[in-house]
Amino acid sequence: MLNSNELERYDRQIIMRGFGEEGQEKLKQAKAFIAGCGGLGSPISIYLAEAGIGTLRIVDLDTVDTSNLNRQILHWDTDVGVPKAESANAKLCNMNSNIKIEALRETIDESNVYELTEGCDLIMDAMDNLGTRFLLNQAAIKHNIPYFHGAVHGLEGRITTIIPGETACIRCIYRGDIPKEKFPVLGVTPGVVGCIQATEAIKYLTGIGKLLTNRLLVYDGLGMKFMELSVKRDPECPHCGHLPFKKEE
Amino acid sequence: MSIKIVIPPGLRVFTDDKGEIEVGGDTVGECLENLAALFPMIGKTIFFQKGELFNFGHNKVSIYLNGEDAYPDELGRPVKDGDTIHILYSISGG
Repeated sequence: MLNSNELERYDRQIIMRGFGEEGQEKLKQAKAFIAGCGGLGSPISIYLAEAGIGTLRIVDLDTVDTSNLNRQILHWDTDVGVPKAESANAKLCNMNSNIKIEALRETIDESNVYELTEGCDLIMDAMDNLGTRFLLNQAAIKHNIPYFHGAVHGLEGRITTIIPGETACIRCIYRGDIPKEKFPVLGVTPGVVGCIQATEAIKYLTGIGKLLTNRLLVYDGLGMKFMELSVKRDPECPHCGHLPFKKEE
Repeated sequence: MSIKIVIPPGLRVFTDDKGEIEVGGDTVGECLENLAALFPMIGKTIFFQKGELFNFGHNKVSIYLNGEDAYPDELGRPVKDGDTIHILYSISGG
């Protein structure tokens, strides 16, 4: 049940067609897992917090470094040396006191990925390497929850929404790992990509609009173009190939 | 026969900043080889060796034909006049 503060706070989105108090209540009841609190995790967590997602579980092992500050907008000059989970928790709690923040200072690996994501309604991809994305992809498949993928490099971005068993998964699209690297990036790129990921999560939870499923959105900030590529499930996919296919696939 | 190849931003350093290159060819593989003949550094990025997409134990390069994932047998796919090939390489930053 939404309280009076929430009704006033979320009024501008509640009056959106198809959203309503019912949609807001769905957001309030939801728990989102945000994997990483850096370039992508900052705009994702800010917009999910502001939208009123009831619980945000944010996981990041790192501490804030000066070199993070061009893009990781949840962290400020005064946070250098502070764990990102702690910095994020402080900002987001001040941003919206109606929601619950579970900020965990942990690395995500094979030993804990299923436990960390247990009980969450969706997974937001805000990682900086493909290997951990593959682990999160497998966790999404195991828990049968959606996975909202985003990645950035320079002024390029990629986004897609994954519904296990219904759409191409991240392993269907990227058929192998690549080494972790120090990647170039302008802060606005994860801003654009993270906002689209957050949009998709809110649409999924409230049931409005058409999701970015089986479509890979490619953002070219240099040419200022969005390009859409069609992706499909791979029957040989080592992650989701075992899930049943619908007749039309 | 004119096929458009869309070059991702990260590889345009090898194509004089051109984002689209027109080439000829009857298959995706021929088109990419013709692209590599024009811009040799692109070839080194796309091809691990002749007839095989870049692969260092991993599949880094994806090819889309007219917006559709061309996997598997990307290089053998026939193309026709007016088709578009997208080269996509994995990115992982966050």
